[in-house]
Amino acid sequence: MEFKFPDELKYLQTHEWVRIEDNIATVGITDYAQHQLGDIVYIELPEIGTIVEKGSNVAEIESVKAVGELVMPLSGKIIEINTDLSDKPESVNSSPYGTGWMIRIEFNNVSEIDDLLTVEAYKEVVEAEKK
Amino acid sequence: MDFVSHDNDTIAEMLKVIGVNNIEELFKDIPKNLILNGLNLPEGLSEPDVLKNLKELGVKNKIFANSFLGAGCYFHYIPTLVDFVISRSEFYTSYTPYQAEASQGYLQAIFEYQSVISRLTQMDVANASMYDGSTALAEAAIMASIITRKNQVIILEGVHPEYIEVVKTYCWGQNISFKNVSIEKVDDELNEEIAAVLFQSPNFFGDIEDVSILAKKVKEKSPNCLLIQCMTDPTCLGILKPPGKTEIDIFVAEGQSFGITPSFGGPGLGIFTARNKFLRKIPGRLVGKTKEINGDREGFLLTLQAREQHIRREKASSNICTNQALCSLSALVYLISLGKTGLREIATQNFQKAHYVKNKIKLIPGYKILNKKPTYNEFIVKCPNVDSLIQECSKLNLLPPLPLSKYYPEMKDVVLVCVTELNSKESIEMFIKALKLVNKNEEEKV
Repeated sequence: MEFKFPDELKYLQTHEWVRIEDNIATVGITDYAQHQLGDIVYIELPEIGTIVEKGSNVAEIESVKAVGELVMPLSGKIIEINTDLSDKPESVNSSPYGTGWMIRIEFNNVSEIDDLLTVEAYKEVVEAEKK
Repeated sequence: MDFVSHDNDTIAEMLKVIGVNNIEELFKDIPKNLILNGLNLPEGLSEPDVLKNLKELGVKNKIFANSFLGAGCYFHYIPTLVDFVISRSEFYTSYTPYQAEASQGYLQAIFEYQSVISRLTQMDVANASMYDGSTALAEAAIMASIITRKNQVIILEGVHPEYIEVVKTYCWGQNISFKNVSIEKVDDELNEEIAAVLFQSPNFFGDIEDVSILAKKVKEKSPNCLLIQCMTDPTCLGILKPPGKTEIDIFVAEGQSFGITPSFGGPGLGIFTARNKFLRKIPGRLVGKTKEINGDREGFLLTLQAREQHIRREKASSNICTNQALCSLSALVYLISLGKTGLREIATQNFQKAHYVKNKIKLIPGYKILNKKPTYNEFIVKCPNVDSLIQECSKLNLLPPLPLSKYYPEMKDVVLVCVTELNSKESIEMFIKALKLVNKNEEEKV
């Protein structure tokens, strides 16, 4: 099975993707992660305004067979959440990088970006997991 | 399907497949000193001898004509219909009745139970039931801690002392800290760090708390904290305001009063209900109703299992993956046999009879009713001599009220009296007579 991993995004070992525009980061889960979870039925998103440390769990993603977490890629404040997901959690399956986005963060430490994975590095992570 | 034990041929075949000569060899890895070498049991008996034996044991039980004991376990009338329905083998002998393809009947019964409890309490969601009232309360505390991400829980005085013990034991290892506070002093303990306030109403001493006043205090100082009510005899819901019409977030109760015999203190039934917004955090099983993909037939199945350990693994918000099916069925049959008017009648009788006794006791010299708040079917009385009261009751074949010194050493001469619809006028007169006699004897001593 071939998965899509857009080149312009940054990734986490825990299968989140990050799109960085100025000091705002949009976060979701990767094509590989949505496939592993299966049909997603519910997503519990954080409250807008909450300040979250990098590495902590910020949302819960519930599928018919498992529950996964969304890990905060960069420390900062939650400024927007994808409220459409409450009615259409399946968007995460059908469009993980588009309508399936989950949160927007205003991050406060630019140097943390260096810890994120490039698409090549992330592809290696996925390959290793598949084995 | 009936259970068929293995015959010797089958055992030999199985042993051959795994390459072992006999059963002893199969267990050879177990150290010799741990292997049981014969049980010290008497020889087998014939059926008539077994029955004789059991009857002899049975007569050792003391059966009281009437009871004035409650304190978490209550004597209520159980309609014959309850035993008739639950004794059907489809219900009585089935184990883990959760497979949708095999257990539509039981799943429907559980669904109906949830619906009835939800209507009775006016809470949005009721789960498929839990083991008993005390563990339901413990699960509620854990749930509140998960929702609020806080770990301090306040338990108000008046929660059944054994429930408090269970909650603390159950939450051991959950990193939750508990504080016992009186309802008058709860103000001083409230702050933003509190996950939940647990209280009981009618409480262990019989007092009915004013939920709105409590809720106002709590939500003012701890807006995110969950208010959790427990109840030991929910027959009072026949006349009291349902918890769903108050500010309660989670309501739990012991359901033994609903068609389950007091037995030897168990089994019980844990009633667990919550508001819709907490749907995904409710512990235990939940049965839902659905429709066939190709057709209109309705069916029942377990739903929202994502909270459970087989899906959530170490992050499960509860490890209860079962319910108290037979007892929840008793409660269902009990409540539908009584109906709305029947339950109101039961509650009214409990209230009126208990108040009849309460008012009678007020007139006896030497006794004092200690409750300052309204009560339902239980109240506390200071008496001249607890020991002799228990003796006099026993002489009259009455199960005596509970001496509170068992839990509260400072309440030396106080008993918790319970009166239900099953207390006849005759038994009440006898009880009052016993109380008078105890006082007379005390006065003569002086």
